[in-house]
Amino acid sequence: MITASRSSQLGATTLLTIVILALAWFVGFASRLFAIVRFESIIHEFDPWFNYRATHHMVQHGFYKFLNWFDERAWYPLGRIVGGTVYPGLMVTSGLIHWILDSLNFHVHIREVCVFLAPTFSGLTAIATYLLTKELWSPGAGLFAACFIAISPGYTSRSVAGSYDNEGIAIFALQFTYYLWVKSLKTGSIMWASLCALSYFYMVSAWGGYVFIINLIPLHALALIVMGRYSSRLFVSYTSFYCLATILSMQVPFVGFQPVRTSEHMPAFGVFGLLQIVALMHYARNRITRQQFMTLFVGGLTILGGLAVVVYFALVWGGYVAPFSGRFYSLWDTGYAKIHIPIIASVSEHQPTTWVSFFFDLHITAAVFPVGLWYCIKKVNDERVFIILYAVSAVYFAGVMVRLMLTLTPAVCVLAGIGFSYTFEKYLKDEETKERSSSQSTNTKDEKLYDKAAKNVKSRNAADGEETAVSGNVRTVISIILVIFLLMFVVHATYVTSNAYSHPSVVLQSSTSNGDRIIMDDFREAYHWLRENTADDARIMSWWDYGYQIAGMANRTTLVDNNTWNNSHIALVGKAMSSNESAAYEIMTELDVDYILVIFGGVIGYSGDDINKFLWMVRIAQGEHPKDIREENYFTASGEYSTGAGASETMLNCLMYKMSYYRFGETRVGYNQAGGFDRTRGYVIGKKDITLEYIEEAYTTENWLVRIYKRKKLPNRPTVKEATIPIKGKKAAQGKNKKGVIRTAKA
Amino acid sequence: MRTLVPLLLALFAICLAQQQTLDEKVQNLADLTARQSIVKFNMDKWKNLVRMQPRNYSMIVMFTALSPGVNCPICKPAYDEFMIVANSHRYTSSESDRKKVFFGVVDYEDAPQIFQQMNLNTAPILYHFGAKLSAKKKPEQMDFQRQGFDADAIGRFVQDQTEVHIRVIRPPNYTAPVVIALFVSLLLGMLYVKRNSLDFLFNRTMWGFVCMAITFIFMSGQMWNHIRGPPFMITNPNTKEPSFIHGSTQFQLIAETYIVGILYALVAVGFICVNEAADQANGKDKRNQQKKANPLSSLFSIPANTQISPTMLPNFPALAIVGLVFICVFFSFLLSVFRSKYRGYPYSFLFS
Repeated sequence: MITASRSSQLGATTLLTIVILALAWFVGFASRLFAIVRFESIIHEFDPWFNYRATHHMVQHGFYKFLNWFDERAWYPLGRIVGGTVYPGLMVTSGLIHWILDSLNFHVHIREVCVFLAPTFSGLTAIATYLLTKELWSPGAGLFAACFIAISPGYTSRSVAGSYDNEGIAIFALQFTYYLWVKSLKTGSIMWASLCALSYFYMVSAWGGYVFIINLIPLHALALIVMGRYSSRLFVSYTSFYCLATILSMQVPFVGFQPVRTSEHMPAFGVFGLLQIVALMHYARNRITRQQFMTLFVGGLTILGGLAVVVYFALVWGGYVAPFSGRFYSLWDTGYAKIHIPIIASVSEHQPTTWVSFFFDLHITAAVFPVGLWYCIKKVNDERVFIILYAVSAVYFAGVMVRLMLTLTPAVCVLAGIGFSYTFEKYLKDEETKERSSSQSTNTKDEKLYDKAAKNVKSRNAADGEETAVSGNVRTVISIILVIFLLMFVVHATYVTSNAYSHPSVVLQSSTSNGDRIIMDDFREAYHWLRENTADDARIMSWWDYGYQIAGMANRTTLVDNNTWNNSHIALVGKAMSSNESAAYEIMTELDVDYILVIFGGVIGYSGDDINKFLWMVRIAQGEHPKDIREENYFTASGEYSTGAGASETMLNCLMYKMSYYRFGETRVGYNQAGGFDRTRGYVIGKKDITLEYIEEAYTTENWLVRIYKRKKLPNRPTVKEATIPIKGKKAAQGKNKKGVIRTAKA
Repeated sequence: MRTLVPLLLALFAICLAQQQTLDEKVQNLADLTARQSIVKFNMDKWKNLVRMQPRNYSMIVMFTALSPGVNCPICKPAYDEFMIVANSHRYTSSESDRKKVFFGVVDYEDAPQIFQQMNLNTAPILYHFGAKLSAKKKPEQMDFQRQGFDADAIGRFVQDQTEVHIRVIRPPNYTAPVVIALFVSLLLGMLYVKRNSLDFLFNRTMWGFVCMAITFIFMSGQMWNHIRGPPFMITNPNTKEPSFIHGSTQFQLIAETYIVGILYALVAVGFICVNEAADQANGKDKRNQQKKANPLSSLFSIPANTQISPTMLPNFPALAIVGLVFICVFFSFLLSVFRSKYRGYPYSFLFS
């Protein structure tokens, strides 16, 4: 009788768990579809376009061709070895799904697979989070955490439909690896540790953020050793994990020998060594006298530790192990990137995080997760040390860089799940047990206090029965209010997903005064034009932001793209954009440019256009060509950045200005506005009669958002004017510049 | 006539003495910069060495006011950076480069006439007097506003102007290592003193507080403050009303981050109170077991709870309700602070 009821209870619990997880998956999937419902099934933003293109290539030509793919359409004339410079996990995953669907005779285009991959994986992330939290705390907390992560805006921001990026699948791999690590630590079994290494391998193949795992797990092991929680389970799981993980991660072409040759991976190796020593110590402790033990280990440890440090520095100095990379330094020394790596500093994702974005992405979970942290510390055990370290380190990293909010979100969801489930366990579950016990208990002492607290003045005679009723009321009220908070979180998450994170940025949306939606499809219009009207091998010059999109949508060769690996090439494009026409013509001739593409938002008031990004072009160009490009020449006399009335002569003559504002002076955007009124910047432009000598307008989209220019071929007798970039108060065009000038023939 | 000739001769001699030849001038400057890397100008030297041709060298001159009487807070740091460049120049540049560029300083206290002559009302100002610059021409000025005045920027300015590259060598700053070393030794000392009772290292409450403090610090955007250095609060120039909260999502004031951090902490405390209340109630119900004084409840709780006598058990509903009120009120506050920054956010709770 009892067993039957227990098994039915178990069945009910399992069913409930499955239903809740399935619902979490469904809700997570559905809430990520805003962009698709509003627009269409389309790849978003910039990087996803490259991933899509690479996936498409892989599906067409096969995996091995993909690994050897040399992409001559990027970084002209250098090209790019794609197979060796991408994390292939994303492409392989969607290729595999596509293949499975195909073999089941569900024929879908690879694009649909790519678009829906991230929302699908959000459900898997929820399940992985459930498993992790279940190991750390309880199944109930796991369900809370799964529901949180399914809709948490911090994670949704990177995984809406169409955002086909590494992070979409990497967070699943991250959580699953952590789950397997905790599991293997709990059981001390080689099987779980091997599975953990396999999952880690998947993570390595998917995202560069794997470095976080390979440092966090050793940190956990180290913390356990320091806390005196060493056990043979730790030894077995860590050593088997480390060996397998290192070998496996080296199989990814892009990672290669990094796991044994870079400083980022060395802590893991150091902990591996330390663990051997500790294990030896534990083995020897019972076999030798205390005196011998002390000499052996104090002396031995000092020597070995010193030796390890010396060897490490020798290897770094000898060039066998690479020192820490700049990206790594910029996480600790926050001023580093600004001085040494401007191209990293220029990306908005790498800025520090304001409290607003913390709250925006986490809402109530931000306030509750310290509570979960508190109880994890209070009731600490081996595996909870892990989540404590994870949360504390991730909150630091998220503070340094907006982008790393993504790694914080899972930790927050786990801990907030623990916090909520702790409370609800107390306030919902105990009610019945309390009722049962209340008949026996006689807590007359509390009667006065209860009345006061509940503001419920009643006769003392009824106190005994009252107590449970009142406390029951308090319990109910608290539970209801907490549920209200949870509902607020849901509403908030939906609002944020819908309003902030569901813009494809390939298609722009605005609304008229009476609320109708206008869709502006200028980008695709322009790319389509390029695809249809230019030669197949035409080279398009644009700022690097649009490289992936041009390659993906227009299928044309680009000079620079979002994989910003070659700073000097980018600087050259920046120099062409910020030079005057004749100097730019020279650069463009050297680079075989056929068309130039600029983004111009002055007509519709789109603020992310090239004029607003122009200062970065100038800065990056100045970094490489300080003789020719000077940032201060592009400012007005009063030191502002402006293209309006006070704009400097250099500004008015640079290629970017000319291409953006060519014939713009003839337009009127409003009835009572002067011609040439720039709506993005809110003033009339400085120079309206712009003539182009060496380039000609090829195409301008409906809302002027994209403008394409063609580099003119020189007439038979070349007549390029002397290429000069006048620099204020300095001998202009000295030495170097004159060298490349095509001599002017007397026309 | 007889008296006139020696007079004329004397005058001529004085003129000659002033009109040093180029070699003499360079030698003079080299002598002056042999012992210290900067020439301190008075009116004579100024006329001679800077404003009078012939010259084949560039002078980089900082106009500043270092005396404590003049209220110029940035003069001192700017002067220090300038000194770093000058010293680097003296020690690292080649012989020929050192003959090309000299560094000088004009202090307002020493030579106010020069300031008047140059028509200057502000300090510090860095001028470059090029080799060919004639007497009355205006020299090139370095724009401190845009370029800043740290040594690297000055070095770049010098390089732009004179094509002499100065490798800026900053004397190492020992304050940070010393402070860290002191701190570490203090910590180790404390550990040594307390070596017999290292229990506090295993005190979970302490670790809990440390970890929670870290999370609140970072979640309230202190890292952003550290990197961007915003003002504590701003005062509206028109109404003179101080505002603690900046109206944009891209910016924050130090004051508001403190407010937010405290609000987060209070919500978390509210939650813990609610849980503790339930814990105590359960403990009471189950075995009526005697509890140790909970460090948490003694820290945060309400008067009713502080007078727990051993016979009297903790007051469950009061603590729970206080916790609940904490959560509701302070989370609503947090939400309203957020709404005041994020325009158009539609949801609120308790307060608008």
